[in-house]
Order: sequence, then structure tokens, then C-alpha cells
Amino acid sequence: MSVLRPPAASRDGLDVRGLSVAYGRGPDSVAAVRDVDLHVPPGSTVGLVGESGSGKTTLALAVLRALPAGARIGPGRVTLDGDDVLAMQPEELRAYWRTRVALVPQDPLPSMNPSHPVGRQLAESLQPDRPGQADRDEIDDMLDSVGIGDPRRIRRSYPFELSGGQQQRVMIAMALLGRPELLVMDEPTSNLDVTTEAAILELVRERVRGTGTAVLYVSHSLAVVASLCDQVVVLYAGELVERAPVEPLYRQPLHPYTIGLLDSVPRIGRSKRQAPLRPIPGRIPSAAERPAGCIFAARCPAVEDACRAQRPGMDAAGEDHAVACRRWQEIVAGTIDARQPAPPSFHDDDGADTVVLRAERIDKRFTVRRSVVDRLLRRPGSEVHALRRVDLQLRHGRTLGLVGESGSGKSTFARAVVGLEPADAGRFTFLGDPLDRRVERRSRDQVRRLQMVFQSSDEALSPQRSVGATLRRALVRLAGTDRSAAGEAVATLLESVALTPDYAERRPGELSGGEKQRVAIARAFASGAEAILFDESVSGLDVSVQAAVLNLLDRLQREHDASYLFISHDLAVVAHLADDVAVLYLGQVMESGPAGHVLARPYHPYTEALLAAVPRPDPSAGPAREPLAGELPDPRQVAAGCPFATRCPRVLGPVCHEQAPPQQLSADGDHRIRCHIEPAELERLQAPLMGEEPG
Amino acid sequence: MTSSPPRPSRLDGARRVFGELYARPTSAIGTTLVAVFLLLAALGPALVPYGPTEQLLAERSQAPNAAHLFGTDRLGRDVFSRVVAGARDILLLAGGGTFVAVVLGTWTGLFAATLGGWWEEITFRLYDALLAMPALLLALLLLGTLGPSRGSVLGVIALAYTPIVARVVRSVVLSVKTREWVAAARLQGESLAWIAGREILPSVLPALAVESALRFAYAIFLVASLGFLGVGVQPPAPDWGLMVAEARDHVYLTPWSLFFPAAAISLLVISVNLAADGLGRALRSGTR
Amino acid sequence: MLVHNVLSRRLGVHIAATVFSLGLLTGTCTAQTLRVGSEIPAQLDPAFASSDAEILVLSNVYDYLVDVDAGNQIQPRLAQSWSVSDDSLSWTFTLREGVTFHSGAAFGPDDVVATFERLRDPDADLPTSDLYANLRSVEATGPAQVTFTLAEPNPFFLFDLTDNHAVIIDSEALELGRVFDGTGPFAVSDYAAEDRMTLRANPDHFAGAPGVATLELIFFAEQAAAVSALRGGQLDLVLRMPTPLFQSLEGARGIERHRVATNGFDLIRLRTDRTPGKDPLVVQALKLAVDREAIVEVVTDGLAELGSDTPIGPLYEAYHRAEVAPPARDVDRARELLAEAGYGDGLELVLHVPDSGDRPDLAVVLKEQLEQAGFEIELRLQPESVYYGDGGWLDVDFGITGWGSRPVPQFYFETMIACGAVWNEAHYCDPDVDALIELAGSTPSENERAAAYAELQRILASEGPYVIPYFFPQFAALRDTFTGLELKAFPGRTDLAAIRPR
Repeated sequence: MSVLRPPAASRDGLDVRGLSVAYGRGPDSVAAVRDVDLHVPPGSTVGLVGESGSGKTTLALAVLRALPAGARIGPGRVTLDGDDVLAMQPEELRAYWRTRVALVPQDPLPSMNPSHPVGRQLAESLQPDRPGQADRDEIDDMLDSVGIGDPRRIRRSYPFELSGGQQQRVMIAMALLGRPELLVMDEPTSNLDVTTEAAILELVRERVRGTGTAVLYVSHSLAVVASLCDQVVVLYAGELVERAPVEPLYRQPLHPYTIGLLDSVPRIGRSKRQAPLRPIPGRIPSAAERPAGCIFAARCPAVEDACRAQRPGMDAAGEDHAVACRRWQEIVAGTIDARQPAPPSFHDDDGADTVVLRAERIDKRFTVRRSVVDRLLRRPGSEVHALRRVDLQLRHGRTLGLVGESGSGKSTFARAVVGLEPADAGRFTFLGDPLDRRVERRSRDQVRRLQMVFQSSDEALSPQRSVGATLRRALVRLAGTDRSAAGEAVATLLESVALTPDYAERRPGELSGGEKQRVAIARAFASGAEAILFDESVSGLDVSVQAAVLNLLDRLQREHDASYLFISHDLAVVAHLADDVAVLYLGQVMESGPAGHVLARPYHPYTEALLAAVPRPDPSAGPAREPLAGELPDPRQVAAGCPFATRCPRVLGPVCHEQAPPQQLSADGDHRIRCHIEPAELERLQAPLMGEEPG
Repeated sequence: MTSSPPRPSRLDGARRVFGELYARPTSAIGTTLVAVFLLLAALGPALVPYGPTEQLLAERSQAPNAAHLFGTDRLGRDVFSRVVAGARDILLLAGGGTFVAVVLGTWTGLFAATLGGWWEEITFRLYDALLAMPALLLALLLLGTLGPSRGSVLGVIALAYTPIVARVVRSVVLSVKTREWVAAARLQGESLAWIAGREILPSVLPALAVESALRFAYAIFLVASLGFLGVGVQPPAPDWGLMVAEARDHVYLTPWSLFFPAAAISLLVISVNLAADGLGRALRSGTR
Repeated sequence: MLVHNVLSRRLGVHIAATVFSLGLLTGTCTAQTLRVGSEIPAQLDPAFASSDAEILVLSNVYDYLVDVDAGNQIQPRLAQSWSVSDDSLSWTFTLREGVTFHSGAAFGPDDVVATFERLRDPDADLPTSDLYANLRSVEATGPAQVTFTLAEPNPFFLFDLTDNHAVIIDSEALELGRVFDGTGPFAVSDYAAEDRMTLRANPDHFAGAPGVATLELIFFAEQAAAVSALRGGQLDLVLRMPTPLFQSLEGARGIERHRVATNGFDLIRLRTDRTPGKDPLVVQALKLAVDREAIVEVVTDGLAELGSDTPIGPLYEAYHRAEVAPPARDVDRARELLAEAGYGDGLELVLHVPDSGDRPDLAVVLKEQLEQAGFEIELRLQPESVYYGDGGWLDVDFGITGWGSRPVPQFYFETMIACGAVWNEAHYCDPDVDALIELAGSTPSENERAAAYAELQRILASEGPYVIPYFFPQFAALRDTFTGLELKAFPGRTDLAAIRPR
């Protein structure tokens, strides 16, 4: 180790004072981060929370001095263990990057050299000057400690040969091998499946914390940060609004924004009937719009004139708890309500039993194309059995939530339902009539009544057409609206999704993510659809925006008496919105039934694992149990028997691997579990996961 | 997910493209030169002092001078007038051929790629077969059978370049086909023609514009090559390639009758290339 | 082992090639090597030879029985002396003795017999089948004697024996065209098709040892390339080139230009067996529209001799009638004639032209002239192989063909003008003309012959479907370190053995 590093005793960790970062020059420059103070003591983990546009990534990169060209660090001071980071010269900077700091980014693959085996890159972290002499045993130990099963094989693999979870584990290993003073983790689990995410979070909890490294954990999710961090810092539009140790923040948040955030996160255990989400109205100001007063004033339920006139400073509100609000005392005292208004809750259990959409034994396989050589040698092609005889029912006026991780087949199912990618076998029945497997062959009426809202709002709308034109087309083409009446109909539609009529002139490129998704929803309703599929439609949205969209969906469902099939990997969102839930794993429905029943005991072991894995915005919740071991198996090589058998913590024995599990009907009647274990036995074995609130 | 940016005006798009074209010296030069050539082609023949095939027997083999800017060739024809007249010829032929290639290639490529399946296989295997033959060889074969004439040269260019255009179109279509707005259109029951024309085609246009400009450059070169080989336009037409071929034997006596047409060919091809480059950059910077 | 062999062979070839090229570059490997630039011979079987390049090879590797010199006089070669019988039907030749082929075989009467039996074979469709159709028999009539018996008297018989194809081959020759075994001044030592041919001097040649020890024939696809090579010092001699290249060599250092007048001409002809050439008014209009003097000036830079639409040029001093001329140029009259013939709006014609020599320029100038007289001409340039291949030139309505120089004019009449002649591209058929041709070809009287030729010239100049604007010269260029070049009117017949270092 050739670098100068202060002895452990005099380590102060990361200290940031009054830091500002701007992009661009002169009059066009926009401040991404304004006057932020931050302190990360060595050995502690600080969570940096914010939505998009909050500047959290910019701040993290600024601290690392890894900002792109065009970014200028304005006034402010950043020190690491007493050394002025911003004043470092190229030599010092190189040493800084090599040995003193480390970054675990959101997407690990671009950070790894694709032409070098992983082992070599690990060696470079350990011994930057002489990677050839790195101690292999030390590397293997580290890989083992991050949960990599076969270190030798992984060392020899190339980055693209590893799964997402394995890549991220390797990145953490690389970071830790260098024994940095500061470790920045930038949303490292956003791209991972829930179960994998849980495992990585567990890894961070156990291996990263307490090593003496100062950890800055950047995330958009309050839930993830709750279980992981000692202190949480909340950013809004580039400014620090609240800073507190984790317990006080969640127990009693003081800043109206923090309060609003916590209120808009869906949680397992709270459905739309019990606790509707309270979204924050308005939108995050863009970097170019900087009001004179409090940055949150435009959306704050507790705003007063003084707030708009002058920017509040950071007040100390308790031990280590700072908040940038002038009314925090009133909030503590309870004399004002800083919560966003709750939307009217209108739920009636009409218990409609008519089945609107029925899927019977839907089956679909994808064959990987065989090369000519393979065909000549008659090697069987590999096949992905994406959907295995899926049976589902969507009832009138209700929301069916379909949950699954990657490879579960949920998107394939959605596309099969709407006829974009026809199923190979099985039958769909819609409103009593059979549905042709291909959308092109369905009647116009059927097409009109069964619509879908897609996932990526960026691509859901045609970029060259204005919003109004898109909606008009849907109206005229499917709903049969007269062209002359279309203009008015468009305005009505926009209003129904809480957008003003002038949005009709705009193009998708001018809209934010949430706005685009609203337009997509409007389009689905434009045709007068009775059944709408949502394929991860809120997955890419900010928390506050997501909450507003979820409430909107709820309202529209009431107004139009529509039935929803809501597909998501986010169990919390599904738990909030769905009346019925089905859980998919590798193309098979593992459990299905009313939401209240599925989310209560007895759980299918996979559902149990999913529920346990979902992070909760409650620091006291703690890790419920051991996260699921192993990785999602290769979908091409699933054996007979239960597909979950390879990872199931409750596996009985060979029977699980060899025989397909039967469909068990629980005592409640409507609730189906596909498992070899009897429901009664499961109930006995399992602990409640939903906390105090029963389904 | 950022918040809404302020609305740009419609003119900005065109202005931006123009600005980008002149941002760098190379594309600025290219664009300007192409404009000059186009101007020459349009107005030139009316403004030049002599006819392109006029033989002034008393003024043969003159070096460039005041009366004859580029000199005269062995038969007493003013080289400058011939070069200017040849500009119109070559631009019309190359331009016409490129236009046909672009239209045909876009039409077939768009529909075949959007349809997929057997249609796509057959169409593009056929185009692959055509592409396997070098354009010049194809041209020679066809012109041998059809006989050299303006029409057959135009047809040859169209045939040689349609597959390439179709391929470019196909690559864009394949990436756009899977976008969700196309799926949404299918869900709305839109016809194939609508999806291909209104949903997919607009995304194809930028790449198509650049490819067309490039094809134009190649077509110019092809026309000149065919003229040089003697299978294109026949003498005494002022085809630049033909002029180069005719002047080959006289290069020691009247080097200017070789130099100027050759320089014209090179200059035009390079200019179109540079302009196409600039156009590509302009269109790329505009998207997202 | 095999690798070693290949390698050493390769190595040897590389070394040889390097030395060779060095020698070529410096040009002084030995002043005893003459490097000649030539077009690419397609094939080298004497019976089928047609292009100048092919004739060049044949005339230096083999010998003729008799040859024509620069003054159009017959000279003895392998035949030393001859006599003709009283009835003019039997020609007896005494052959030179002691002559051997390069392979060592002795030359004798059998070889002569074999040569001509082959050339006159009526079943094989040879260029010479017609020429030697008159031969009844060829026989060896002594150890060094051959007798030819004709069916009909032929005053030009000796000239017929100098035909390009009539080189004497070994009676037991095999693989003609690939194995070269002649009696000539040079023997082939190496032949790389389409690249070059290396020949070494034959010191025992009956005319004496050649002036240089080695002869290199280097083949070029384009004459311009050959001339450039000459300028650059890679060649010593180029025997054919179009006018502009010749002009460009004026004043070039170290290079001597040679020029010889010939009877070669470019023939512009209209097909007369169908419209529009069938109409004599059209033929007249054509003749009236052409400005021959201007063509000579512009196309040949004044280096050619003016033509009068007949194949008898000034070179045939005995027969040429200078006063015979085609009608003077009259563009208006031409227009009138065309209108009379029904082409008042213009007569459209496609002019086919082989793209070699001065013919492309001729075509362009001609088009300009004709269009002033109401013709509408579309030019169609073709490579020589296309124009002359598959008889295309014999089919087209309007074409330009190049005709090489011949020792006597009878050849032209019998192959080009006589009704049904093998190369009668105008499909011209006039019984009066045929009668005159017959007479000129058979009569022993020179006066009669001259009179017949005079009449033929008058007919062709005034109404023949031919326009012959000039008789072109042949050009050659020789490096001035050599001397002794006597350029022949048919350049392929130039005797390269006479060239020696200065």
C-alpha cells in the first residue's frame, strides 16, 4: 500500500459543507445541488434519499470527483478524513480514486471491463500497482463472503457471463477489497429482482457496515434505506430538507416533504380500502426553476406567506435531527397538519361475481433458434417454457394483481391476453365470448373493450404525434367518436386524468414521465375499455408521482366500472391496489386468490419469500428472515416437478423435484396454493409477516 | 423522469439542422459546394458561352485562356461549357437513379420488415443476392443487354442501390417495431399500412435521409465510371466520365481536357459526402 | 521436403524476377535486348491470326515464302527463286537449303505443302479458305522444290503468298499457338500469356543474325500505357499508336519518331440491301454531307492522306487516279436529297464505332458534319472485341471499320466490295462492279487492269455506299539508342531483326 492514509484514530470520515454543483455556464447554468451539508462518520452508513431531480446522484459523484464534463462544483467544501477533496491535484486524485474511495453503481456491467475476466479486475482492486501478485486466497475469501458460491469459477468468468445479482456481488467485493475510506453505493439494487435485492441488502447489512468504512447509500426508496442506514438525509430538488437518524425520521418526520413521501409509499398490509395513498400534488421543479423562498412551498400543505418569501435555514430539531422548515415546531406540537389531504375513499364490496376475462390453460414456449449445424446434428433446441398452463380469472369491477419476478412470464402473459404475441395453447374468454389469439383477428368491439397500458412511458406514445392526435385517433378509430366531436372528447379525457386541455398540443417529448403515463391511461379509456391490463405501468415513476397515478387508477376504475389486470414485480404496489392476487414463478401460478387471503397465512413458500424480501419503510421491522438462497434458475432448464424446488426453504425432499405439485384449496375456499405441503401444515409452520394488520 | 421542459417552437427544428450543417467547416464547405453545383446544373447551360458539342475547329487544343476558361480539347470544344453541361447530366442521372432507389427500397424494405416472417425472408434474401454482385459488374451486365442509354443507366443505378436502401430501412424498422407505441397501435386495430406508414416510417426518415445523401454520392461516381468505361452515355454527350476517357490519350497534349472533368467528379463526390456527414450529425443531435 | 522445394523454387523465381526487373528498369541489362510494346495477342495459331500483335509475333518467329518490302516489291525469303508456267497455272519455287527450324528439324518442301494444305482446307472455315480457293494443288516436286497449281490464272499470286497467315510451319508441328517452332530470326524462349514473350536471336537465320540477342515483347492493353512505358524507359519500341500519342512524343528526349504512309483507311459505310441505305438518294446525301478535308485536319492533324471514297490510295502509284474525287461538300443539296427521299424531318441513324485508334474522334466529327445536313446520328461506341466479334460489324446499318494496309488493292475488292464477299459489310452488289473486279483480278495485261481500277474508282467515288476520308499513316517510336527500324505499312510485318544498337 503506497498511499498515505491517516491512521484509523484520526479518521473523520466524509464531511461536506455548503456544497453546490451546477451544470452549464453563465446564464444557462442550472444548479443541481444547492448548499448541502453532509457528514458521514467512519463506520456508519448514511442514506441519501431523493426522487428524480433531487441531485442525489450529482452529489454522490461530486464527492467522488467523478462528475461529467460540463459540471462545475461551486462554492463548498468536501473533506475526507481531513483532506480537501476539491483541491486535489491529478496525482493525488488518482490515488484518491484508486485506494481511498469506491463506488458501487446502479448498473454494474458498464463498470466492468468486458474483455477481462472478473478475477483480474478483482486483483486490480486489491493490488492496484501489481495486480499479478494479488493474493488469490484473499480474493476467494471476499467472494465467499459476498455470497458467491464458486469463487474459482467466477474468477475465471467474464462479466457478461454472470447474472445481475452475481455482478453486483462482484462489484461489492471489488469495492471492499480496496478497503476504501469512503464507499458510495448508488442504487445498487434498483435493477435486481426482489429476492435478489433482499439478499444484496442483507449482504450490505452484514458485510459492509461496521468495517470502518464510511458508507453513503444513495436511493430513491425510503423502504430500502430504512433497514440499512444509521442516518438518513432527504434531498428535494437539489436542496437538503431534512437530516435525521433513521428511527426519528420514520417515527416522526418533520419536513412536509418527508411526511408526504412516507404517506405516498404503498406498504404491504395497507390496501387502498384501509389507507389510501396521499400523493403530493404538483411536480418537482426543474433545475431551471428556483423559487426565491422555500423550495417546497408550491406543494406544501402547511405553506404560509413567509415560506414563499424567504428560504428557510436548517434548524436543529433534536439530537442530530435538522430540518429546513420554519414551522417544524408546530408540526411537532401537532397544531398544524402537514399531511397531504387524503383522497376520498370509495370502496364498496359489490362482490360482483361475473368473470370478465378467463384464461384457461394458457401455454407458451419460446424456442431458441437453432443454427444450421444444430439442425443437422439434430440437437434439440433449447426452449423456454414461458407459460405453463396458466389459469386466471378477472372478475368484474375488481383488480387482479399479477406478481412475479423476472422470468416469471407475467409480461408474456399480458401480451398473450391482448393478442400481441399469441399463446401456443389454451383459451381466453372475454365477456363470455372466445377471444382469438391474435389481436388482428379479433372483432373491433373486442379490441375496443380490452386494452393495455404499457410499461415504459418513454415509448408508449408515438414521438412524432401530439398528445391530442394520439387520443383523437383512439377515439375515432375505436370508440367511433365523430371527428367533429373528437376535440371536445379529448379535452374531457385529459381532464379525467388530471391534465389540462392544453396538453393536447404537446408532444410526448415535452411531457414528464408521470404525465406521459396519464396520457397512456387516457388512451386506454378513450376506447371505452372495460378491461384494462397494466404491465408494470407505474414501475418507472417517482414515488410521489406513482402515488398520484395509483389513486387516479382507482378513481377511474370506479367511474368507468372497469376491471383491471395489474402486473407488477412490486409487491407493495400490488398489495395496495389489488382485490385479487396471483403469484407467478417461472410460468406457473403458485398461488392465487383474494388479496386478503394470499397476503395472509398460509402462504405458498414462494409468496412467503417474496413478502419477506420486500423492504419496508420501517426501521424497526428488521430483516424478517433469511433471504432466499440461490438465483433464479435458467428458464431454459427447468426440470419436472415444482419449479421452485431448487430454492424452496421448505422443500420436502425428492417429491418436490420429481412430481408436479397439486393445486391445494385452502379452507377459505377461493384461495389456491400449488404445493406438496398441506395448507394447514403451512399455516402452522409460518409466522405472520404482515405485522399487526390482518388481511 | 424529469419534470416538463419548456416547449420548443417548431421552427427550431429546421433552424437547428441548418445550423448544424454549417457548424463545422467540413460540412459547411460540402454543403456550399453542393449548392454551387446544383446552381450550375440548373442555370449553367443557359449562361455558358459555347454549346457543349460545338466544335470550334479554329481553336483546337488551346490551353486555358480568357476566351476558354478551361481551354479547348482536340476537337475544339470548350471544356468549361462541357463541364457545366455535364453537371446537369450527371446530377439528373445520379439524382434520378437515387430517387428511384430510395422510393423502391423504402417501400419494399418497410413493408417486408414490418410484416416479418416469410415476406421478410424472401425479400431480403433476394436483395442479398443482388448485393453480392459489385455494383459496377451488375451495371456492365445490364447495360450490355439493354444497350447504353440514359434510361438504362438510371435503371441500373436504381437496381444497384435499392437493396442497400432497403437494408438500412430494415435495420431501423427492426429496432422500432418492438417499441411500445407500435404495439399500442396494433392494439388499436390499426392496419398494416397505417402502422408501417404512420407509426414506423417517421422514425426511419432520419436514417433514410442520410443514406439517401450517401447513395447520391455513390451514384454520381457510378455514372462517371460507366461513362468512363464507355457503357454509359455515348459521345459526344458531355458526360464527365466519358470526357475523362476521351482525354486519356491526349493527356500529354491537352492535359486540361482531362484534369477539369476529373476534378469536377472528385469535387462533387467529396462535397456530397461532406454534406451527408453534416446532415447525419444534424439529424442525430435532434433526436432525444 | 516439398516445402523446401517450393520455397527454393519460389526463391529462385523471386531472385530471377528481381534481377530481371532491375534489368528492365535500367534498360542496360544488355544493350542487346530490344523491348517492344505490343497489344495483347489473343491466340497465336498462324491460321487464325488477325490482330497486329499476333502478326508481329508470327512474322518474327516464322518466315514466309516470299515477302513484300517497303517499296511494295516481292522479295525472296524461304523461296529463293521461282518460275511460272506458260499457262500461268503452275508456279514452281526453289527453296532455300540448309534452313532449320528452331527445334533443329530441317526445312523442306513437306513443310510448305503442309502449311498450304492447312490454309486452303475448304472444310475448315479459315480466313484464308477463300484466298486459296483458287489453289488446285500444292506438291513437293523435288528435294527443294514445290509446285503450286492454280485453277485459274492469278497475276497477284505472289502477293497472295505474302498473306499474314502464310508463315511456313513444320509439317509435324503440334500444338500450334502454344509451341512455337519456326525458321524465323527469333525463337521463343518464354511466353507468359497476356504479359510478355521473351525471344532469343536465331544466329543461324538465313538472313544473318539479328541485330539484338534478345527480343522482349511486352503486352499492354492500351496503347497509351505502352507509350508511357516508352517515355519512362521501360520500352525501346512501340509500333502502333493513335495520332495524339504520336503528336505528344514530339520533342521527347531520347525518342525517335517514325512514320510511314500506308493504304490503311477507316471506312464509313451504309448498308445498301435495306432501308435507308437502299435508296441512292440517301447515299448521295451522305457523300455530300461529309467534309473530308476538315476530317483530315482535325482527326489526323493533317498527317493522313486525303481519301476519295475508294480503297485505292496514293500508295498504289500505278493505279491511283488523283483526279477522281467524290462530289464536293454541299450541305443544302444533301438536305434536299434527304427530303426527296422522304426524310425531310431528319434521318435517324445509329453509328456503330469500335473504340480504338482515331475512330472515336472521327465519329464525333462526322456526327457534327452530318447533322448539319439533316441527319440525326446517335453514336454507339463499342470495344473492338464486341464490334468485330460475332459479326456485329457486318450486320449494322451504319458503321465505321478500320481496314489495314495491303500490298495490292485487289484484296479489298475481293473481300470487301464484290457481291457476296466474306467481308462485304455494306452488302453492296453491283454486277458491273463485279465484272470489273473479275477482270482486274485475272487479266495478265497491266493496262487492262489499270483501266479497270480507274473505272472502279470513278464508280465508287460518285455513287458507292462508302466514305473513305483518309488513308492513315502508321506511327512508331524508337529509343534513339537503337537504329535500323524500317516501319512497314502493316506494322506487324516490320522486321525486328534489322534493328540493332547504335
